Amino acid sequence: MKQHKEEKWTRLDNASKFFPAVANNKDTKVFRFSCELYEDVDPEVLQQSLNLTMESFPFYNSILRRGFFWYYFESTYINPTVESENKPLCAPIYIRNEKNLLFRVFYYNKRINLEVFHSLTDGAGVIWFMETLIYHYMTIKYGEIFGNNIPRLNYKASISEKSDDSFRKNYNKKDNFLQRKSKQSSAYQIKGSRIKENRMKLIEGAMSVKSVLDISHEYNTTLTIFLTSLLIYSIYKEMPLNKKNKPIILSVPINLRPYFGSTTARNFFSTMNISHSTHSDNLDLNEIIQSVSNSFKENLTKEELDRKLNHFMSLEKSIFTRIVPLTIKDYAIYIANKLDDRKITSSISNIGKIIMPKEFNDYINQFSICVSARRPLITLCTYEDRLVISFTSPFEETDIQRRFFQFLSQKGVEIEITSNL
Amino acid sequence: MNYCTHCEVKIRENQEECPLCGNMLSGISNNRHEDIFPRIPPYYERHLAIRILLFISVAAVAISFSINIIFPSNINWPLLLLFALVSIWLGVIALVQRRYHISKKIVRQVCIISLLGVFWDWKIGWIGWSLDYLIPITSIAAIITMYITAQIMKLSIREYITYALIDGLFGIIPILFLLFGWIKVIYPTVICVTLSIISLSAIFIFRGKDIKMELNKRMHI
Ligand SMILES: [Zn+2]
Repeated sequence: MKQHKEEKWTRLDNASKFFPAVANNKDTKVFRFSCELYEDVDPEVLQQSLNLTMESFPFYNSILRRGFFWYYFESTYINPTVESENKPLCAPIYIRNEKNLLFRVFYYNKRINLEVFHSLTDGAGVIWFMETLIYHYMTIKYGEIFGNNIPRLNYKASISEKSDDSFRKNYNKKDNFLQRKSKQSSAYQIKGSRIKENRMKLIEGAMSVKSVLDISHEYNTTLTIFLTSLLIYSIYKEMPLNKKNKPIILSVPINLRPYFGSTTARNFFSTMNISHSTHSDNLDLNEIIQSVSNSFKENLTKEELDRKLNHFMSLEKSIFTRIVPLTIKDYAIYIANKLDDRKITSSISNIGKIIMPKEFNDYINQFSICVSARRPLITLCTYEDRLVISFTSPFEETDIQRRFFQFLSQKGVEIEITSNL
Repeated sequence: MNYCTHCEVKIRENQEECPLCGNMLSGISNNRHEDIFPRIPPYYERHLAIRILLFISVAAVAISFSINIIFPSNINWPLLLLFALVSIWLGVIALVQRRYHISKKIVRQVCIISLLGVFWDWKIGWIGWSLDYLIPITSIAAIITMYITAQIMKLSIREYITYALIDGLFGIIPILFLLFGWIKVIYPTVICVTLSIISLSAIFIFRGKDIKMELNKRMHI
């Protein structure tokens, strides 16, 4: 039996295939999910919790290897160990020819940081791993206080459902990848001076969910659309005059799970591009909100998402793509990605609500998520009434960040700012 | 908590300037907060040493070529220097990489040594020692090293089987030298081919299933 388990391997899902080809030192394709407690982290308890968590997520115990035509995951018996934070933010995880797990767990003072290589899973997939990890941490560390009424973690899916390739499952062969969609114009590119050693600057703003929701409602819109519009607005305000002929285009990831009824802990997302032209002399936030809200509506229909999924799957399934050796595929993806990059100004990703049993409120201050970045971009998540908006950027400049947070603080939102550099 | 009056935001941690606007924070409170992020020191120094060595190598090659042009000699010694340096760097790269893929490295070394050997032999007037001795002996050494390292490092069969296979196939090639009569000394070649055949048959007879599995995994389309 053990022998059989040892030799298990899995294909990469559709989205995972992209990341090893484009990950490099400038953009490591690593994201970090943090949980900040009120007390210092206990490394021993954290290690125990990690061991327990791994039992529910056997798929996370894999390494990424190169085949002749495709990459594949190979299951291993490497035990993940927690470490005191000793690398720069979102440092490379996947290194070719090295036999490493695709995630790491760091702790530093009050924070538990889980860093993940994007091939393994996406933001929504990792929430669940993190929730399980924190759940075990809380029950081990504070089990005595909870006594007999130890809170329960809500059950979501079986182990096989967790390691589901939902792209493959929901592909219905309707699309032909040769049907190219209409060409998009190139987008405005944010420029800046790189931080040395390709490090990233993270600026985190923590605030009350309710206060930001109130402002969104003032504008008759949702939190995500409001923040997306505010990002466009902040970029617009900091744009040099002579560049104001190019549109600002944001890439917004979409979690496909709710649309396709999936509970996979692997990748299952798509992206939409939200574009806004910058021709008019004085853009108004209301105007931006209107157009962003329309784009969201158009993109978030089941038909449109179906079309996207099938488009990418047909590309992967075509015999043409399949018989090309991996090395060439890698180059092709790398170049295609470079070209696609020109069509994007920035991106914003709302991971959503983190839900933990109420009993843990007294011990957990906040959750936050951030991601490696080639350009300034935003990731955000909420826990109870705390919203953490994380800006990551490879540049020294912080004008867009300042503009963004100042807008909120002037509206009366109390913001706590943290930065890693 | 500190406060930036310009941005109207609170600043966590012990920053002296506001991370957003860069203004000095006035009235920094004396009670130090615990850091949220550790300060990670740069790793520049290590890279510098490698850069200096690389620079010296390139400079040495350039200078040797120019000396050879100004004071010509019979042997093209700058080319030999170039090859020596390239081999050294290849070796360094192999060393720097982790122990993972040791079997792959063995295969790679066999190829590099064989190619360099043939080239060298040809460059100094084709005596034939590369085919007579070098290639068969390297192949024998590779097959033996492969099994010894696999035992010592307790590699699982799947980690080295593909490379053992390549090694075995490579070791059969010298039979061509024999058939075409390219070689003067036959003992090394005969030993090499025999060993390869034994090794290959062992792999196919005892580990055929593993080979099939590995191929499935590596070649899936
Ligand atoms: Zn400020």
